[in-house]
Amino acid sequence: MKIQFFRYRMAGVIAAGLLAFATTPPALAQTLKIGAPLPVTGALSPEGTKLRQGYDLWLGQVNQAGGISVNGKKYKVELVYGDYQSNTPRAVQLTEKLITDDKVNFLFSPFGSGATKAASAVAEKYGIPMLASSASSAEVFNQGYKNLFGLYTDNSTLSEPLATLVHAKAPGLKRVAILARNDLYPLSLANEFEKSVKKRGFSVVYFEKYPIGALDHAAEVSEIQAQKPDWIIVTGYINDLILVRKQLADQKVTAPVLTMINGPAYKEWIAATGPLAENVTTASWFHSVLNYRSTDIFGSTHNFVKLFTAKYGSEPDFTQASGAAVGVLLQEAIQRAQSIDPDRVRAQLQKGGFKTFFGPITFGSTGIANSYIPPVMQIQGGQVKVVYPNSVKSAEFRLGVK
Amino acid sequence: MLFLQVMADGLLLGGLYASIAAGFSLVWGVLNIINLMHGSFIVLGAYLAYFANQRYGINPFLFFPVAGAALFVIGFVIQRLVLNRVIGKTVLITLTLTFGLDLVLSDLMLQAFGADYRKLVLHPSLGLLDLHLVVIPLDRLFATAASLAATCLLWILLRSTRLGRAIVAVRMDAGAASLMGVRAEAVYAVTFGIAAAMAGLSGSLLAAIFPISPLMSGAYLAKSFVICVLGGLGSVPGVIVAGLLLGMIESISSIVVGPNFSTTISFVLLLSLLFFRPNGLFGRRGFE
Repeated sequence: MKIQFFRYRMAGVIAAGLLAFATTPPALAQTLKIGAPLPVTGALSPEGTKLRQGYDLWLGQVNQAGGISVNGKKYKVELVYGDYQSNTPRAVQLTEKLITDDKVNFLFSPFGSGATKAASAVAEKYGIPMLASSASSAEVFNQGYKNLFGLYTDNSTLSEPLATLVHAKAPGLKRVAILARNDLYPLSLANEFEKSVKKRGFSVVYFEKYPIGALDHAAEVSEIQAQKPDWIIVTGYINDLILVRKQLADQKVTAPVLTMINGPAYKEWIAATGPLAENVTTASWFHSVLNYRSTDIFGSTHNFVKLFTAKYGSEPDFTQASGAAVGVLLQEAIQRAQSIDPDRVRAQLQKGGFKTFFGPITFGSTGIANSYIPPVMQIQGGQVKVVYPNSVKSAEFRLGVK
Repeated sequence: MLFLQVMADGLLLGGLYASIAAGFSLVWGVLNIINLMHGSFIVLGAYLAYFANQRYGINPFLFFPVAGAALFVIGFVIQRLVLNRVIGKTVLITLTLTFGLDLVLSDLMLQAFGADYRKLVLHPSLGLLDLHLVVIPLDRLFATAASLAATCLLWILLRSTRLGRAIVAVRMDAGAASLMGVRAEAVYAVTFGIAAAMAGLSGSLLAAIFPISPLMSGAYLAKSFVICVLGGLGSVPGVIVAGLLLGMIESISSIVVGPNFSTTISFVLLLSLLFFRPNGLFGRRGFE
């Protein structure tokens, strides 16, 4: 009898324990999940690694501070990563999986304009705000979506300042050659350059596209040489631009101005091209010489650069900074909304006016940032120098590349 | 002048293509294995040259035989330990095995070297050969010359040495070669080693020209595949002619129809040629 009573009592204790466990909100409920599809492998893996470094720095700072405060509760942040192997259809599948299987609250975009455009359709379907870290083509943001917010200003904000600068510093230059990778972002950027230079009276004497994965550019370089351009503009990614720069030198192609985007802003590109990097101009949305004071978790660009350098041993480039910046934007929007409800956070994102270490961020009606001017840079003495706009420049613009 | 320059560009590129594809064609022709590791072998050769240059200042044009020797050892061991088990099996099995091995090798390189693109910068630069109408970068010229020399050496080896005759005999009929006293398994291993050596030395030469990253392996493999099919399986002269032809076609079509369509044009011509010569330019019926 005594044993039976004991058994009942034990059963009661276990049942009560289970009930208590079931009714107490589990620790996971205090965790905010953000989906981050990344190109960990494949052609874009260097960029994927860089983005992740930015995400991780922000994540470490937020969780070290106890998480994101919402109505007196602290939400620890968990980033749910996935590898889409630099393959856009896989990025779309992965985004859907992150929403439906992993139940993420918010999303960071895949890398680049093409994959972001494709994946944003999934985010829109489920009404999950997606912060785009690396999409700048207007074509990404013209789909009428309400859940896509792009950190970068559109491509014309790269071409316009450069065209203004070159036109002002070298008014005698007339002939422009443009070579573009046939890919959404590089081609869109090249088209913007064509518009910007034509607007200022330059004549475009060469405009060609090269295929993704091209192993050689000697023939294109020969044709550019034959056109005798004053300004050569090449768009693509780091591997393309290393090769094109080398092959321009191989055929003794020189010009007063050589612009390459995206590549020269990366220290890897400067190391890979050595002396050929000298005086090459580029533009990007961030550089560590900028110094914005911010209301975000980093407090200023200077502090962000300091923390990044301490963690990774080198100064951040724009892709690494972008990873941290989308984290900061989402955190600010959640804190302003005092909610993790997607609708309320989306409303705050739409309202804009964020003072971040990356720059002042407000999104236009299509969702793309329209609140800052990306700096124009030039490689001088093996270092990246800002040459425009005047308010942040660290060196004078130089003409001539060898 | 533009046309001459483009022809020169095409020839230089074609010579490199020939060297990239020679080993791939040999393995396919002799072992009947489509070696999907071939691109990664080239990249590994490029990394060896890169680090030899960065750490010990060795010029890649002097280092390429060493890279070839190192890859020979790696190829020989892989063949003896792994690939030998699937010789004579269906293409699907050998394809899957080399695909898996390529994933392993590629991931090991990603872990060891990272995915960042690197470039071997020669100090001092070898400079240019300026012929007024044509400018030829000497590093490309040396790389192409060394590549073609290595490929010709392979051809001489196959035609004029006991080992070469044994390889050719095994390629033609492994059973009959065994009956004549040729140790087919040893020939397979040496052949795979030679093919890996060709990849390694090509990689070392390419290091001075192209950016280096594990991500480049796919592009090298694709070119090898096309050149191999175009030239004819296992044919060294076929590889040389097909490499030069592909380089020229790509260069000329870049100018005529634009660089964006040069690959398409190359493939259309390849398909057209295969329609008339299904065994490739120098392939023989029965070796496929």
